[in-house]
Amino acid sequence: MMQRKYRRRGRYRKKIFDKRVVSQRFDLLRELVGRDLKVMYKRSVLGIAWTLINPVLQLIVFVLVFKFVLSIDTPNYPSFVFTGLLVWNWFHTSLFQSAMAIVANRALIRQPNFPPAILPVSTVTTGWIHLIFAMPVLLGFLLLESTQIHPLFLFIIPLLMALQFILSTSLGYLLASLNVMFRDTQHTIGVILQLLFYLTGVFYEIKNVPEKYELLYNMNPMVHIIGAYRSILITGTLPSPTPLIIIAILSLILLPLGYTFFCNQSTRFVEEL
Amino acid sequence: MAKAIIVESLGKRFKRYHADRPNTIMAAVLGGFKRLKSVDVFWALRNISFAVEPGEMLGVIGSNGAGKSTLLHLVGGIGQLDEGSVEVHGKIGALLDLGASFHPDLTGRENAFVSASIGGLSRREVKRHLPEIINFAELESFIDNPIRTYSTGMKMRLAFAVAIHTNPSVLLIDEFLSVGDMRFQSKCLDKIRELQIGGCAVLFVSHNINQVKSLCDTVLWLKSGAIAAIGPAEDVTQQYAEYMRENAAESPTSERQTQVVPSSQSLAPQAKQGNFQSKDIVIESIRLIPGFEIESGQSMTLEIGYLPLKPIHNAHFGISISQSNGNICFDTHTAQANFKTGTLQEPGTIRLVIERLDLAGGQYFIDVGIYEATWSFMYDYYWHMHELIINSSASKKGILNPPLVWQKV
Repeated sequence: MMQRKYRRRGRYRKKIFDKRVVSQRFDLLRELVGRDLKVMYKRSVLGIAWTLINPVLQLIVFVLVFKFVLSIDTPNYPSFVFTGLLVWNWFHTSLFQSAMAIVANRALIRQPNFPPAILPVSTVTTGWIHLIFAMPVLLGFLLLESTQIHPLFLFIIPLLMALQFILSTSLGYLLASLNVMFRDTQHTIGVILQLLFYLTGVFYEIKNVPEKYELLYNMNPMVHIIGAYRSILITGTLPSPTPLIIIAILSLILLPLGYTFFCNQSTRFVEEL
Repeated sequence: MAKAIIVESLGKRFKRYHADRPNTIMAAVLGGFKRLKSVDVFWALRNISFAVEPGEMLGVIGSNGAGKSTLLHLVGGIGQLDEGSVEVHGKIGALLDLGASFHPDLTGRENAFVSASIGGLSRREVKRHLPEIINFAELESFIDNPIRTYSTGMKMRLAFAVAIHTNPSVLLIDEFLSVGDMRFQSKCLDKIRELQIGGCAVLFVSHNINQVKSLCDTVLWLKSGAIAAIGPAEDVTQQYAEYMRENAAESPTSERQTQVVPSSQSLAPQAKQGNFQSKDIVIESIRLIPGFEIESGQSMTLEIGYLPLKPIHNAHFGISISQSNGNICFDTHTAQANFKTGTLQEPGTIRLVIERLDLAGGQYFIDVGIYEATWSFMYDYYWHMHELIINSSASKKGILNPPLVWQKV
């Protein structure tokens, strides 16, 4: 029998690692992600294909502008941009949509058994599934351009995904909480993400950036994550581990902070009548 | 067996914020962060203690804003307590905000699946229960249509069916009986009874006293965040009904933006300050001419007999006609017609002539009140003082039955 006990401040003791609860949470996550995916293609002719059409169109724009107009000399430019776009889009949608996690899901959070903290996780998971859907196309590009893809290093990709997953979720928690206090967070985050898109080197090489700005670029975790994908998939080299380890440590510190903040804010939000 | 719900000296505090509390980052930075703090706090609930045993149904009654829903949510683990503790043993099923989590573009089946998962069922359990849920909701032929094509009643039926099939051992119900038609409602009640007999503890919030009385074993009456009474359903509902009758003046007068203080003398004698129902002038009688049963559209005269106990200058007389559920169909008073009563010293009669009473057929009641000249308190008031039956050959639906003609042009 499950037992719940709320004390002052509303904390309740519960076996967190109760097997039944964990498996139920997974089922719930699956339903929420499934719902997001279904809703996305329900009322459109092309359906789930949009997850591919969008980055491909972006890719065409960048290739046209930078390859043919500005004649950039980055090797394997389409693969280079497509890798960046897919990874960046995952980050972008995760953060942008997580920002609304609390505010847009009041009805769900007001259900007694519902764990609100699952919402950003489901958003990030949905984005990840889109990334997975797009993977075969990316692979096609890589093979077509015969990049130096290193099969042995491919095992790092899941680790990179896990890292980005944790980073996005913790940032998502923070943004969603901030959005409860300040409703303009969701508008601001759109602009900031747009700016970051240009500063992350999605369509150009970081090594072309003047040296005095290098530190600024190095502080952006997505620069390292996208860089790591590219070194595995395009140049076939092992990504430099130090920045990734630092990001992992920071994410793991950020996660419990964001989680706590999120839980407090979502509780506060549903109390407001 | 152990209790299913134990609530101990629960307290819940709400904060009131500055009216111009910044709610954008920009405003917060410009205005300084000081106005982010709350200006004062009030207790929505305080010192609430009760327990519910498995198989018991506890009714929660009280007027709007008494804290009923807040209590239900806190028991459901939504929101934080500021004092005391809540213990819930077993899985919570909730009939709160029914259907609010449905997505309009998904089909009934898909929504049922998501809702049941939110309700705490595993995938396998949902699969097993889904036919049962659809069958209960009587939506077999619509289940694969998007929810946006459903009527409100259909949505409610589906939401209820899902909630009731999550095998709860503690059930929280908030005013659910707007669900579907009478037949479906009684089906829901049967299902709730069935769960209850199977050992489910039920916490039932309702405004419908008769329903609470017939369903619940014990009733908790909340009054502005505190327990006014808790005990056997019969006793508490009766006390509550009496209290409500005496406070019935509250709604019509508040519409007039006046400050009539509601009476609560029989329950809280210490609160009586002579500020309400001063009885300086009392209503002695009411007469309906031609009688208490008239034809729709007929004229009617009402005579209020009053007895001043001391000279009263310019009192207002008010009359309203309401239905048994408290709906006010018609409300008028002397001040509206600019009618001055002058100084009242002797017993007398005030007469209201209604030239046509175009109400639809049915049972109504006459409410009568005498108010102080500035509306600051009432001298005397009777809710449902006299019955009024209106006969009509036309439909008994609706409230109005005006003279009318159909024409083809």
